[in-house]
Amino acid sequence: MRPTSQRAGRLESLYGLALRLYPGPFRKQFAPAMRQAFRDALRDPFLCHRALIPLVIRDLITSIAKEHLAMVRNTFGRPAMIFNAAILSALSTGLALALYTIPQQVLRLGANDPQIALAGDLVARLEQGVAPADAVSPASVDMARSLSPFVIVYDDQGRPLASQAKLDGTIPVPPAGVFDFVRQNGEERLSWQPVRGREHGVRIAAIIQRVQGVNGSPGGFVLAGRNMREVEARIGQVSQMAGLTWIGMLGVILLGTAVFAWFTRPKAV
Amino acid sequence: MWMYISIMAKGTAPATPLTPAVFAILLSLAEGDKHGYHIMKDARAPQGGGINMGPGTLYGSLDRMMRDGLVEETGTTDDERRRYYRLTRLGQSVLAVELERLHAAVSSARAQGLLPQGGR
Repeated sequence: MRPTSQRAGRLESLYGLALRLYPGPFRKQFAPAMRQAFRDALRDPFLCHRALIPLVIRDLITSIAKEHLAMVRNTFGRPAMIFNAAILSALSTGLALALYTIPQQVLRLGANDPQIALAGDLVARLEQGVAPADAVSPASVDMARSLSPFVIVYDDQGRPLASQAKLDGTIPVPPAGVFDFVRQNGEERLSWQPVRGREHGVRIAAIIQRVQGVNGSPGGFVLAGRNMREVEARIGQVSQMAGLTWIGMLGVILLGTAVFAWFTRPKAV
Repeated sequence: MWMYISIMAKGTAPATPLTPAVFAILLSLAEGDKHGYHIMKDARAPQGGGINMGPGTLYGSLDRMMRDGLVEETGTTDDERRRYYRLTRLGQSVLAVELERLHAAVSSARAQGLLPQGGR
């Protein structure tokens, strides 16, 4: 069936409107030629026009989707874009890790400072022969609540001899392996969690030093500790700030890459 | 300072097997320079691949084939401003490789009795 010239004109106009759905660069380059090809098809006396219109509709749907996908790929999927974004993301991840790790270490190591002095002084007094009960002041620190530093003296077997602090009414004892390590190395600095299994278990920044025996006694150990609650809260804040900075940097990289990709996208020939 | 390292994007010739549309376009242009609708007509014919291709598919394929260096515009237009295309040397080579591949497949099918002797 031949379309009348009026109907053919209408179909061509409709096709011209549909061509606006193609991406700009593609449309700019090929729309006149595509319109001409459609016009030629309408004029072709050997072509069944009942079949032409469904074919063209199918072709429009698939090729418009395909060209838009190709445009997105050519704009944002260029290897240079992906490579640059990956490099910048890796750098920002490294920077965010440093932003977290450096203050975290400074805060954590700084949490040991009072205990280092306390343990050293107490060890010196005990090694001068002062009895543990006399060397340790009778102040009572609740390890779970108080942020004050405290000291505990243990005998050579790790049994408590004198303590300034208690947890749930008892004097907690570090694992035996810690004493073995201190016996060999003289000192251990650790984050000690005397209560396990609780949702907010107590964590202690602890220094344990060896006390040499005096007058044939077997010696012992001094533990100086402090609840890390406040330090850990600060570390948590640092972690949040570093995380937000990281997300922000990734967002800026994503946005910057998208804008850069858009302005440097391949143009129509 | 943001330093962008550019990686040159190079058009690479498509590996065979080709898509039906690309094969039909190469086959059509092997006969000589043609404009868009002429290629569509050739592709529709059984001897041209029997591909019912619309203008979107044709020009999308031509766009990619030009970038891959398989075809090029002749630069000539007729009185209705139709644009003409021709095969490049690379396009001729790719078509030859594809025809060899298809010929080998058809010969093998014929040897196994899957095609009648002398059949197309």
